[in-house]
Amino acid sequence: MPSLVPQILAFLGGPLDAVHLPPDGSESGWRIDEMINTTTAFVSLLFVLMVIWMLWSVIRHGPEHEALHDHGAEWKSWRWTALVAALIFFVVDGDLFTRSMIAMRGTYLDFAGAEATPGAVRIEINAHQWAWNARYAGPDGKFNTPDDIVVLNDLVVPQGAPVIFQVTSTDVIHGFNVPGMRMKVDAVPGTVTRMWFQPRDAGVYEIICAQHCGANHYKMRGTVTVLPRPEFDRWAQVTSVNAARAYDPKDMEAHWGWEWTEHSRVE
Amino acid sequence: MTAQEAALNRQAIEALQPIHAPPTSFFRKYIWSLDHKVIAKQYLWSGLLFLLVGGILAMMIRWQWAFPGQPMPILGPTVLARSGGVIGPGLYMQIFTMHGLIMIFFAITPILIGAFGNFTIPLLIGARDMAFPWLNALSFWVFALSQCLVIAAFFGDLGAAGAGWTTYPPLATNIGTPGTGQTLMVAAVFVTGVASIMGGINYVTTVIRLRAPGMTYLRMPLTVWGQFLTAILNVLFVPVLGSAALLLLMDRIFGTQFFIAGAAAVKGGGDPILFQHLFWIFGHPEVYILILPAWGIVADLLSYFSRKPANWYRGSVLAMSAVTVLSAVVYGHHMFQTGMNPLLGQGFMLLTLIISIPAEVLFLNWLRTIYKGSVRLTVPMLFALGMVFVFGFGGLTGLYLGAVAPDIYLHDTMFVVGHFHFTMAAASFLASFAGLYYWFPKMFGRMMSTRLGKAHFWISVIGITLVFGGQLLVGYAGQNRRLWNPFEYDLFRPLAPLNRWTSYAAFTLFFGQLIFVWNFFASLARGQKAENNPWQVGTLEWSTSSPPPPHNYDLIPVVLRGPHELSNPELKAALGRDWVGQAEVVATQLPGAARASGRGAT
Repeated sequence: MPSLVPQILAFLGGPLDAVHLPPDGSESGWRIDEMINTTTAFVSLLFVLMVIWMLWSVIRHGPEHEALHDHGAEWKSWRWTALVAALIFFVVDGDLFTRSMIAMRGTYLDFAGAEATPGAVRIEINAHQWAWNARYAGPDGKFNTPDDIVVLNDLVVPQGAPVIFQVTSTDVIHGFNVPGMRMKVDAVPGTVTRMWFQPRDAGVYEIICAQHCGANHYKMRGTVTVLPRPEFDRWAQVTSVNAARAYDPKDMEAHWGWEWTEHSRVE
Repeated sequence: MTAQEAALNRQAIEALQPIHAPPTSFFRKYIWSLDHKVIAKQYLWSGLLFLLVGGILAMMIRWQWAFPGQPMPILGPTVLARSGGVIGPGLYMQIFTMHGLIMIFFAITPILIGAFGNFTIPLLIGARDMAFPWLNALSFWVFALSQCLVIAAFFGDLGAAGAGWTTYPPLATNIGTPGTGQTLMVAAVFVTGVASIMGGINYVTTVIRLRAPGMTYLRMPLTVWGQFLTAILNVLFVPVLGSAALLLLMDRIFGTQFFIAGAAAVKGGGDPILFQHLFWIFGHPEVYILILPAWGIVADLLSYFSRKPANWYRGSVLAMSAVTVLSAVVYGHHMFQTGMNPLLGQGFMLLTLIISIPAEVLFLNWLRTIYKGSVRLTVPMLFALGMVFVFGFGGLTGLYLGAVAPDIYLHDTMFVVGHFHFTMAAASFLASFAGLYYWFPKMFGRMMSTRLGKAHFWISVIGITLVFGGQLLVGYAGQNRRLWNPFEYDLFRPLAPLNRWTSYAAFTLFFGQLIFVWNFFASLARGQKAENNPWQVGTLEWSTSSPPPPHNYDLIPVVLRGPHELSNPELKAALGRDWVGQAEVVATQLPGAARASGRGAT
């Protein structure tokens, strides 16, 4: 019989085992995780205080309790309300704001720094219903040329170097989303959006479409495989040679890509 | 003022809103009635009906997440017979789209704003009807037309609308959803917007022009404040939604390209992001449109059933007004991932976080109102407390999403779904029920069963917490929204058991509502007759009969004090009870009683 207790606990708690942030394989995803966890600590504390306060009021100040006639309208009273509101704002919201600004300006939006890093990989993504087309510039460093590496859904990137994406879509809005790298950006027709991350751990990370894009939205799946640098270089070389060999100048469908600049619109 | 002047004054007040003979024909009494109380009930019935439809659609979504691709019981053999009882991916996207649109525009809006706005505003400010009774009736029937369009959409070629409730183009154009169902739904949203604008103009005018003598702005119950501010937002921002819907209809029907771009555009092309701007300029105020009336009702009920004045009334009014103003300048946080200019995103983050200050003031006022009170756990009070509880969840989880960095990870996940269901759905839903249990005696002249009401409360509040809490948890683990089968992704497969448990909670919540349905109809038929003032509250509506006569008040009341003058010791000594009517003349004008009508105690 005593063996039943852990079984029941496992039965009740089992579904909750999976509730954690996905494994983070990026250099700077910890910034987001840290903000989420700190905020969870703050709001849990506030919520528990609120529930205790409500229970106390309802239980201790029930029908037998004589109600205090107080409008709380005097400065001496409402200053406490204002003070507590301001305190929560400056601590909780202030923390979120400051950390967000540091994370965005210092890391996530630092495209110039990422571009300047030697060994950075540039990938153009062209989403459509329901797959991810990806294009690497190949040895010539130019997009939409015969030596480009073109892959569908399954991307390969090197460990320890920034991977910069420029993203668009041909039909509807999709969401280019790699939760294992803590990064996502919308794929919007007519516009090039961008994002970057730096993989830290080798492994396979899923690309999961984030924006509702039609009936098969649920299986618009891709992968990002992070390889150690030498393996990645070997893969890139082989794939590029194969791509150049298979290049068909008449296949207009396969010819897409744009000059890698600070794009905002593609026609 | 001499007695003669007072009489003249009284005549002038009455002359402004003369009593009309009540209508006698069935058509004028129940169909084209100009009586705001009848129109309120029309909104209530139509809203409750669509709440049921939206709820059934929610159960279909939950079934799909619990048992993806398996035949559904009850609905499977009947409604879904053609597909063998199974919800396919194409049907699934129609289900969640229709669920969202129906719940927001055709269930919560008519109940919270249409029904309670119509019923409470004239009664609580001491008016005989709305400022424009004819426009009021027109507003309802235009709304009914929009509901007909929703029903028609279900029978469209290629099924109902499927582009999500946000209706983002190009998916919402013929490229993604070519069926007539999508066109009919966009049209329905446009038509319901017309009804909302008519209602909004009416509410704003009524509050400004028809307040009874002595009913200053700062003596209005917070319920009226909530409805007033909501009406202002409706008048200002629904036209923006209307313009977006109209442009989208032109893209769909006439082949324009306002919102089509990229290779999908034949030539040139527009901008899909433009639609998002138009949509969210309306869409963010919309969430406050749905929550301000709820805040107002709850703030009042917490005071009435704690037998204690609402704490820092002016602070609450200020906070609600501040939220109303700020709601217009935070919408960008819905678009952080669209490649928005970084500076713009950071500006919207700051503004979004600032809106938490007035929200905290409101919360603290509610908490301080019940503290040191004499709390009566009536059914409306339980629902009001439940609303504070679930809004705590909803408000606090909003913090994560307002900040640009955590939003990168959480955007488009079930965390967002859980967050807005706690605020817009759970809080509005519980406040609606609080209001319904509270005003039912005044609306229908009968009492609802307390025992069934309490059972309904517990099943609702526990069910809501588990269902939307489950959504928050899977969202925290990364699960994206709107996935027909989330478990196609390796990352989400371990979350299947939790999704299933959440679905069980949702089914319980749904069937628990049958208690309410039974209570509602049984009480209508044979509930105990209600007294004029069963809750012992001093606001004006409780001074007239239950239900009130068509003209509400035989004599327009002259208001002497604020709505929350409860447990005033001097008045208690004079009257022998802890409440006093807003228009009640207390014979012994004690210093305390005088003060109660003065500045410090508005």
